[in-house]
Amino acid sequence: MKRIACLLLACVSIALQISADAAEPPLIRFGRGFAAEEQVWLMSARPDLTPNQGKRYQLKQILFQANPQRFQAYLAGEIDAGTAPGLSVIFANEQGLDIKVVASVCMEAAGKEWFSTTYMTKDDGPVRSVKDLKGGTVGVVGIKTATDLWARAGLLNAGLQPDKDTKVVPLGFPAMGDAVRTGKVSAGTFVEPFYSAEAAKGGLRKLFTAVDAVGYDHELLDLWFGEKFLKSNPEAVRAFLADYVAVTKYYLANTAQAKRDLHKAGFVRTPLEIYLKNADWKRDPNARVNVESLKKLSTFMREKLNWLEKPVNVDALVDQSYLPR
Amino acid sequence: MRALRPLLLIAGVLAAWEIASRSGLWNPLLFPSLAKIAYEFGLFLVQPERLMEAWVSLYRALGGFALAAVAGVLLGMLMGRSSLIAGLLEPLFSGTYAVPKLALFPIFIFVFGIGSLSKVALIFLECLYPIVIVTCHGARDVNRVLIWSAQNMGASRAAILRRVVIPATVPFIFAGCRVALPVAMIVVVITEMISSADGLGYLVIYSLSSLKTDRMLAVVIVISLLGLALDRALVFLRNRLVYWDRLDTYYV
Repeated sequence: MKRIACLLLACVSIALQISADAAEPPLIRFGRGFAAEEQVWLMSARPDLTPNQGKRYQLKQILFQANPQRFQAYLAGEIDAGTAPGLSVIFANEQGLDIKVVASVCMEAAGKEWFSTTYMTKDDGPVRSVKDLKGGTVGVVGIKTATDLWARAGLLNAGLQPDKDTKVVPLGFPAMGDAVRTGKVSAGTFVEPFYSAEAAKGGLRKLFTAVDAVGYDHELLDLWFGEKFLKSNPEAVRAFLADYVAVTKYYLANTAQAKRDLHKAGFVRTPLEIYLKNADWKRDPNARVNVESLKKLSTFMREKLNWLEKPVNVDALVDQSYLPR
Repeated sequence: MRALRPLLLIAGVLAAWEIASRSGLWNPLLFPSLAKIAYEFGLFLVQPERLMEAWVSLYRALGGFALAAVAGVLLGMLMGRSSLIAGLLEPLFSGTYAVPKLALFPIFIFVFGIGSLSKVALIFLECLYPIVIVTCHGARDVNRVLIWSAQNMGASRAAILRRVVIPATVPFIFAGCRVALPVAMIVVVITEMISSADGLGYLVIYSLSSLKTDRMLAVVIVISLLGLALDRALVFLRNRLVYWDRLDTYYV
C-alpha cells in the first residue's frame, strides 16, 4: 500500500513539474553590449518597470565585447536576440544571417541636445582640418565598425583616400586620449564617457562628428531577433518590446534616476558624477527604426567603401510589426 | 608511402570538417565547406595586396625573432656558464616567464608607437624567454668530462668555449629557436588583430567583422603554412649545421 502511495506521489509531482514547465514563459537569451544601451540594461536593472517580464517572457542578458562574437553566438544557438550597430546588422544580412531588426536603440543625430561620436585631434598640433590628416593616422575602435565607417566617410569628404592617404588603426577607447596627445595617432574617436573626460582634461580639439561625416542622422544601435524565435514566440517578442518601449520612455523622462539605478546595478562602471553629466545619444521614445538611414548606410558601405559584395534589402531586414502600435 | 603518412591525419581532419559542414548540424557561416575555404585561399594567392599582408607579418615576426635569437643565445650562454650572471638573471627570467607579455602591449604601443616597432618589440620579448632558458640549460649541461679533457690537453678558455661548449650547446639553441619561432607567428597575428592597419592579423579581424568565416579560415591556413615553412627551414638549417646530431637519426 505504501509503495502504491509513493508511486502516486511521484507521478503527481512529475505531472506538476511538467505543467509548471509548460507554463514557463519563453526565455529570451539576449546578447548585449557595453555602451549606449541604457534602456536595454534598465530592463534587467529595474525589472519593476517591465510588467510583462517573468509573465510573458523571461530575459537573460549576456554581455559581449564585440559584434562579430554576438552573431557567432547566435549562429551557435547560444542567444536569440541582441543589440548591434546598424552596419553590423547589414553585414550580417549580407552573409545570409536570418535576423530581423525589430527596434531602434539610439541614433547618431545632429543637435546640441544629443551626443554624436566625435573625432578629435591635438589642439596645438599640425592638424587644423580633416585634409591635414594626409600622411597621418586615425584611431578607431575596431576594423569595420561604425567608428571605422565614420572615419573613412570623414576622410573621403575631405578628398583623402583611407588606407592610402591616411591610415586607420584600431585602438581601445580608453587609450585614445593619450594616443592623440602623444602624437601616436593624428586623430582619435571619442564616445561617452571618454569624450567628456578627455575634453575636460583639455588639449584636444574637435575635427568632425559621425553625423558630419555621413551627412545625416542615422541609426547607431538596433535591436534584433532571430527569425526562428520571432516565428515561434511572437507574443513573447511583442511583450518584450512593449516593456522595452515603456522602459525607453521612463529612461527619457527620468534619465538621472535611471542612470543612478544602472550604476548601482553595476551596468556602468564610470564614476557616477561623470556618468550623470555625460551627453546622451538620441533615442526614439517609440523605438522606431529610421529605415531610410540604414538604406543610405548600406549604399555607402557598398558603393564608397566596397565593404559589401552584394546589395542588402534593408526593407526586408527591418520588421517593426512587433513594436506596440 | 612513408612520406604520405603524415598527410593521412590531415586528410582525416579535412574529411571530418567537410562532413560536419555538409551535415547541416551547424550553420555554414560557422562551418564553411572546404570548397569555399579553398576558393578564398586561391584568391589570397593571386591577389598581390594580400600577399603583401603576409610579407608584412613575416618581416615583423622574423625581425622580433632574430633579435631574440641573438640576445637570447648570448644571455643563455652567459647564464649557463657563469654562476654570477645566472644568479643575477635567473630570478628575473623564472619570475617573469609566466607573465603574459601580451598584457604589456598597450604600454609597448605608447613607447614604440602603433606601427611595426611595438609588435617587433613584443615578439622579441616573447621569443627571448624560451631561447634563453633552453640555451642556458644546454650550456650548463655540457659534459664535464669533455671540458676536463680539453683542459688537460692545455686548451685555453676561449678554445674550450669554441671547440666544446658551443658545439655541445648548439642543439639546445636550435631547440629553443624551434619553440620561439611559432611563438613569433602567434604574437604577430595577435598584435595585428589588436591594433594594426596591415598584416595577416588585420586580415583575420577584417574577415571576422563581416562574418566571412571562409576568408578568415583561408588566412588561418596561410598563417599555418607560413609557420610550417619557417619550422622546416629551421630544421633544414639545424641538420646542416649540427651534422653530428641530425634530428632524423633520433629514432634509429
